[in-house]
Amino acid sequence: MERTHRLELFPDRSVTLLLFQHVKNAAALRKKAIEGSIDGALVNPTMIVDPFQILVAANKAVHLQKIGKMKTRTLNAEIIFSLSPSNNISDAFKKFGISDSDTAVLIVLVVDGDKTVNLADIASQVEGQQVSLDELPQLTDTAKVKKMYKVTPQEEKIGTLLDSVVCRMSTKDVL
Amino acid sequence: GPAGAAMGDVGPVGPPVGELGAAGLAVDGSEDAAGAAMVAEEPPAPPPLPGLRLVQQGAEAHVYRGLFLGRAAVAKLRVPKRYRHPALEERLSRRRMAQEARSLLRCRRAGIPAPVVYFVDYVTNSIFLEDIVDSVTVQDHIYSVQKSGNDTSGLHKLAEKMGELLARMHDEDIIHGDLTTANLLLRPPTEQLDLVLIDFGLSFISALPEDKGVDLYVLEKAFISTHPDTESMFQALLKSYAATSKKSGPVIKKLDEVRLRGRKRSMIG
Repeated sequence: MERTHRLELFPDRSVTLLLFQHVKNAAALRKKAIEGSIDGALVNPTMIVDPFQILVAANKAVHLQKIGKMKTRTLNAEIIFSLSPSNNISDAFKKFGISDSDTAVLIVLVVDGDKTVNLADIASQVEGQQVSLDELPQLTDTAKVKKMYKVTPQEEKIGTLLDSVVCRMSTKDVL
Repeated sequence: GPAGAAMGDVGPVGPPVGELGAAGLAVDGSEDAAGAAMVAEEPPAPPPLPGLRLVQQGAEAHVYRGLFLGRAAVAKLRVPKRYRHPALEERLSRRRMAQEARSLLRCRRAGIPAPVVYFVDYVTNSIFLEDIVDSVTVQDHIYSVQKSGNDTSGLHKLAEKMGELLARMHDEDIIHGDLTTANLLLRPPTEQLDLVLIDFGLSFISALPEDKGVDLYVLEKAFISTHPDTESMFQALLKSYAATSKKSGPVIKKLDEVRLRGRKRSMIG
């Protein structure tokens, strides 16, 4: 159900994505993430077009962490920040993190190669139904994503929405 | 050299590649005690991507294909020039990388087909881009069409599309900086003439007709030197360019001026 991908450039890290629907305790989950009892990034899945978008964000976050150039204070925060097209950190959290009233949650875990993560433990803390990542497109709010990333109509003709999103994410901080 | 040609699987990284540096010095990998300024160029380590294949070992960058985050990608690793002062080298490398990334985004926002940027790494000076799978360079396409002997009308149509694409790019004030037929790809199926511009490492932003004229001049020279009997093709390209771009007048004028200026053109009787 969940999906894991080993980062090619940072083989000591792998990224696992878990998707939940009908979530009732988003507020509690948010608190747990902030406290650190859930060591993962809690992402708003309506802003996510494809798991690749998360991988690009996680790859960049891990890269910046390794060279000591993160803009935020934790890897999980950096992942959420990397998703955003803006350089405003609190804005990134507002739009890409989860809010107390959300009913769908995407949990992103970046794990050190050797460590085994107890996925069941994390899933048990969510009062909701875990679903396959294949369900993600149904949750995406395409119009909101287009607006957030300021996708132009000409751009839509030459590529997918994912293309537009990823391109902005990766070139956001280019001098 | 021609891009897009797979050179087979990469084995262990070999000895430094002998290349001609910008300073015109022959760079030799082996030690040379008598050497004046013989510097071994350290090739960048290949990125650890699954399905890795070396595509091109240029003087500026080594280009690889492989899977990155589950997608077909192209990795461009800059070749550090040891003869340069390290501070200059770092700055130049960074600027080229930044220019390429910026131009790619600018193109895409304007609806000009160019690869998607997946990841920019300023530490190793590498950039990971979308791989246009099964694409063919315009250079290779022209070769094969000319070889098979027929279909000159197809090439005319291709030239028109190229002119149109370049006009749109210049209208966005994007100067490619290295226009050759190897830097234009055709998506499969080739007959659809679906063009993609690549390699924006030398690109910059400019509204000046002179810069646009030079951009076209570079392409013209590349055309004539690489592809015999293509004068009419380039003419069709320019005609289409002029028809597509509202600002083409001054650009074509500058092109004519640059042609006259050109190398080996002596005004001395």
